[in-house]
Amino acid sequence: MSLKHLIPAILSVSMAAAQKPPVPKTADGKPDMSGIWQGGGAAGLAFAIGADNAKAARPDAAPAQAGRGGGAQPAPYQDWVLPKLKELRDRRLIDDPSGRCLLVGVPRITSMPLPIKIVQTKDEVIFLYETFHAFRVIPTDGRKHPDDIDPSFMGDSVGHWEGDTLVVDVTGFNDKTWLGVGGASLHSDALHVVERYQRVDYDTITYNVFIEDPKVFTKSFNTAPSFLSLRPGERLREYECIADNQDIRRFEELLKTPALFVRPPQ
Amino acid sequence: MRGSFFLAAVLAAAPAFAHHSFAAEYDGDKPITLKGVVSKVEWENPHMHFYLDVTDEKGKVEEWKFEGFPPNMLVRQGWRRDVTLKVGDTVTVFAWRARNGMNLAHSREITMADGKKILSGPPAGTGGGN
Repeated sequence: MSLKHLIPAILSVSMAAAQKPPVPKTADGKPDMSGIWQGGGAAGLAFAIGADNAKAARPDAAPAQAGRGGGAQPAPYQDWVLPKLKELRDRRLIDDPSGRCLLVGVPRITSMPLPIKIVQTKDEVIFLYETFHAFRVIPTDGRKHPDDIDPSFMGDSVGHWEGDTLVVDVTGFNDKTWLGVGGASLHSDALHVVERYQRVDYDTITYNVFIEDPKVFTKSFNTAPSFLSLRPGERLREYECIADNQDIRRFEELLKTPALFVRPPQ
Repeated sequence: MRGSFFLAAVLAAAPAFAHHSFAAEYDGDKPITLKGVVSKVEWENPHMHFYLDVTDEKGKVEEWKFEGFPPNMLVRQGWRRDVTLKVGDTVTVFAWRARNGMNLAHSREITMADGKKILSGPPAGTGGGN
């Protein structure tokens, strides 16, 4: 690009940035994350509303081609888990709990291709997920995890603010979900997740996730940084997953003839 | 280091965008393009389905069933219920066939009679590779 073209391009980008409203603040001075958002970064936005729509909505987030993925780092699984992962992959992930409409856990819920409504109050941040109608009510007033947690699909979340960043500690999971950082990513009931949400500008919340699970991983790790995009004018819709879920019936049929879907030996 | 390679492949293959594994039911190596007349549209969660009457070169009509995105995602991509795809429309569908050999496929893109194209489902491999 020549200088003649570059300068208007730079001006155009900086003017667009200047026109963006500031990050809203709550009465107590915290960044207000209330609104409807789409998770999963640029690829998630492209998947949820179409690549052209995503480009129109966020020209700064060049939509990646959703689908085959790539670039993910391997999670540090202990050796005993690897054969289990291979078996699930050989079964072409037919066992994915989400195919049976089960709540998908944290952090996977964040990158599902349906929007999230965040309602922020002085003492709580409430996440309403269109996906499977999940919700999380996250106290930010100093409350701790209860001492009578029943292991659950979405775990128990408590939050606190570190400057402009909402830090959410999630524990109390069952072992029935897949992590969803890629493939058949198993975890145990010892899973501990720490999410960090920061509204860095008007239409972006950065999303960083720390994961540890001493029963299945050799060490803790962070997933690839991602972000949520503001979806002005959007509304949550019903996503009832069971009523017409034909996949379950078809899975059962396929399981009767495993040769149809089991991967050939490699 | 075969184990490491395998693990990397697992973690890279499947963004968490899918409701279920594409690869469990459909074969990404069996693309198919069919032209036919829409006979039914099931605008239902968790996934839309629609049916085409496809006439072969001998004049025999076969019914094909296609899966697609959830209605909520279709709406956000510009679809309108009972408007975008209607019974009686003649369309061409690009899809991937089901592993069970039935007249079932996962649709990706629909070309309308006027040539306009619209996405109807995810790319092959979503949620588990091929």
